[in-house]
Amino acid sequence: MASDPTPLCVDTLSVAYGERSAVDRLSFTVRPGEIYGLLGSNGAGKTSTIRSIVGLVRPVGGRVRVFGRDCVSEGRRVKELVGYVPEVSLLYDALTPREFLEFVASVRRLDRGVATDRTRSYVSAFRLEQEFESPIVTLSNGTRQKVLLIAALLHQPPLLVLDEPLNGLDPRSVRIMKELLVRYVGGGERGVLFSTHTMEVAERLCHRVGILDRGILRGEGDLAALREQVRAGDASLEEIFLRLTEEREGVRAAVDALEGPG
Amino acid sequence: MSWREAVRLSGVGFSELSVQAIWALRQGNLVPPGPAGTLAARARRRVVQSKGIISGVLALLALGAAFALRSSGVASSAFTGGAPSGVFDAGVLTGLFGLDLAFLWWTGMQVLPTFLSSGVLTLLETLPIDDRTLARTSGLLYLRLFDLPSLTILVATPVFVGLALGPWAGIAVVPGAVTVVGVALALSLLTGRFFVRRVQGARGGGTIVRWAYLTLWLVPAFAMFGFVVAAPAFFALLKGGAASGPSLAGDLLLVAFPFPLAALPATVASGPSSLGLAATGGLLLARAVVGYLALGTAALYWVLGAVRRVGLVPPVVPGPARSVPLVLRPVGAALAVLTKDLRIASRTPGYAFLVLLPILDALVLGLWTYASVTTSTAAAGLGLAAVTTAALLATFFGPAFFAIEVFAYSYGRTLPLSDRSLLVGKVALIVLIYLIASTLVVGLTLARVFAPIVLVGFVAAELPAVGAAAFLELGILFRRARTRGLPITNLYTGAWLAFLVSIPGLLVASLPLVVYQADRLLAGNLRLLAMGLVALAELALSAPYALGREPS
Repeated sequence: MASDPTPLCVDTLSVAYGERSAVDRLSFTVRPGEIYGLLGSNGAGKTSTIRSIVGLVRPVGGRVRVFGRDCVSEGRRVKELVGYVPEVSLLYDALTPREFLEFVASVRRLDRGVATDRTRSYVSAFRLEQEFESPIVTLSNGTRQKVLLIAALLHQPPLLVLDEPLNGLDPRSVRIMKELLVRYVGGGERGVLFSTHTMEVAERLCHRVGILDRGILRGEGDLAALREQVRAGDASLEEIFLRLTEEREGVRAAVDALEGPG
Repeated sequence: MSWREAVRLSGVGFSELSVQAIWALRQGNLVPPGPAGTLAARARRRVVQSKGIISGVLALLALGAAFALRSSGVASSAFTGGAPSGVFDAGVLTGLFGLDLAFLWWTGMQVLPTFLSSGVLTLLETLPIDDRTLARTSGLLYLRLFDLPSLTILVATPVFVGLALGPWAGIAVVPGAVTVVGVALALSLLTGRFFVRRVQGARGGGTIVRWAYLTLWLVPAFAMFGFVVAAPAFFALLKGGAASGPSLAGDLLLVAFPFPLAALPATVASGPSSLGLAATGGLLLARAVVGYLALGTAALYWVLGAVRRVGLVPPVVPGPARSVPLVLRPVGAALAVLTKDLRIASRTPGYAFLVLLPILDALVLGLWTYASVTTSTAAAGLGLAAVTTAALLATFFGPAFFAIEVFAYSYGRTLPLSDRSLLVGKVALIVLIYLIASTLVVGLTLARVFAPIVLVGFVAAELPAVGAAAFLELGILFRRARTRGLPITNLYTGAWLAFLVSIPGLLVASLPLVVYQADRLLAGNLRLLAMGLVALAELALSAPYALGREPS
């Protein structure tokens, strides 16, 4: 690992698709031992931010560093330090989970014994034994998501980057995943970046959250800090989110408008 | 709703299908650079380009057949040993129909998995459209995949045959063209359904079915040049039948698909006597033509109605898995790429074809050499020709292996996999295909003529050239992919680029072969040495080009 112990440092990151700006000078840090939640509406820039971290999108400005390594100039080294679960489970459909994980373990240069032991543990935890030899094309969305989670955890990376990781998972697996993430950062060195729409999950799981709106960070901190920011002592994260993104009035107006025609 | 609505809906659906096929967004490809508003238009243009290439090949086939028909007097005596001109014409048209059928079916088998997995039909099902319009829309959507190639067969065949044999023969060839198109589209749909149901999700015990299907897929491909190889024997059979009068074998040949459809224009052009048919034979031929035309029309009608049912058919879900020990066996990165590509190919017809065709081609030619050639010189010559074919086929299809990276592209790019490992893995696969094919040929040829130095030396001398060609082709594609996104998905959507990139590859693979053939002044072993040195020089130039620019 590099000498910088900070799992993730996003510094004035800007991402654009042609003329359209998706992320605008975004800065935040995932500290050692922290689960950081990235919250935002659809199109807020969460996935663009995450894609910049894992090397899928080249930023138009700013820097992203993982344990001090630059995501653009040291892309391959960064990929070795990151475990990634994409928003949409796009996998090699023609492979079975075993074949897919074998490919990932090979690329990540894992030892046979280590790869097998870890895979056994995760497959057992997620009850994936029955589907382990079936082509991925035949698996349900939730099962594909489990395969992706195992692939992300297989090399025990010091930084996990999870884009809506609980999508499609059954309640048991969601619970396992939550417990796992808490323990994962328990040692105080690793970090997790976690994007979600689900406020309850973020409220319970994340040490700090960043609220993203149209590519700009509107608020950041733990629940207490965010409450202070909106000057509402007992507000829920959902309430804080709506206030910070200035959508509270918009929600009321939308509901009123929907009730009108009915 | 009406046919007009079905046509409109199928147009919208085809745009979506083009976007999915070209940009492979559902397979994990990223949105390509350029204005987002032009994505659909660019995709449609690329699909039309690819259809244009396939249609061009079909038109060339018809043109070639017309030339053969025009020169039937000369060609007939030289090629068929003096068979009547009607027999020759019927033989040429049988070959043309066979090639058309094989090429259209082959194209369909490439395209069908993309069509069925695109989700376009499923999306249409959720809309408030009546059953009849949905069925019509699905059928039209399917026909749009084949529109230009089918029209080429339906128009070019009568026009060229009419020019060669006269207008009445041109009209008489229409039933054959219609039937060939109908049967090819139906075969494509049937085999596509089989793939989705039985092959795609197969595991364990399904392996045999899977590989059987993948081999079945080679049938039309082999039919294309099988006819060329078997043409003299075919003409001899026809000539014999014409000379000996009615017989059971003759009757069977007379009704074998697609011969009656080909015999009809030949008869119209040269008269019934030109085929040497008795009255009963003529009646049999007429019945067969009517029967096949009915079959072709029914097939077209069936296709129009069946696409919706076929498109929505669920895959066969495997039963509970056998309890197998859970063990992962990681390997080196390049070997992992090679293994992954072979595993994907084993469940994807388009890629299985690329692996199997050079190998099975070499096996067939090797067996042919073993079984048919009487002199050792001829056997050695055929063996070397077969190795040459294997090298050129492996090189020609090389760029398509790059397309496998389209699968899960965005996920794959998040792994710490270097471009070098990826390139080396794919080049190794191409070289492996060449080696397996060459070993088959050499093994069978050595059984007839024991000339190991020449045969093994030839394979070894060409080996670096195959690697060099693969490095060059894939190097060009990787550089392009870094700047403009992944360009190829399948034959139908990126054919032009695959063909273009294959040209320098084929030149590189051919140069040592030319050196071997041209350098007649040198003794055999020195020729091999010269060939090997040229191949090594090519490898020394192309490998650094491909591997040289490793991004961080």
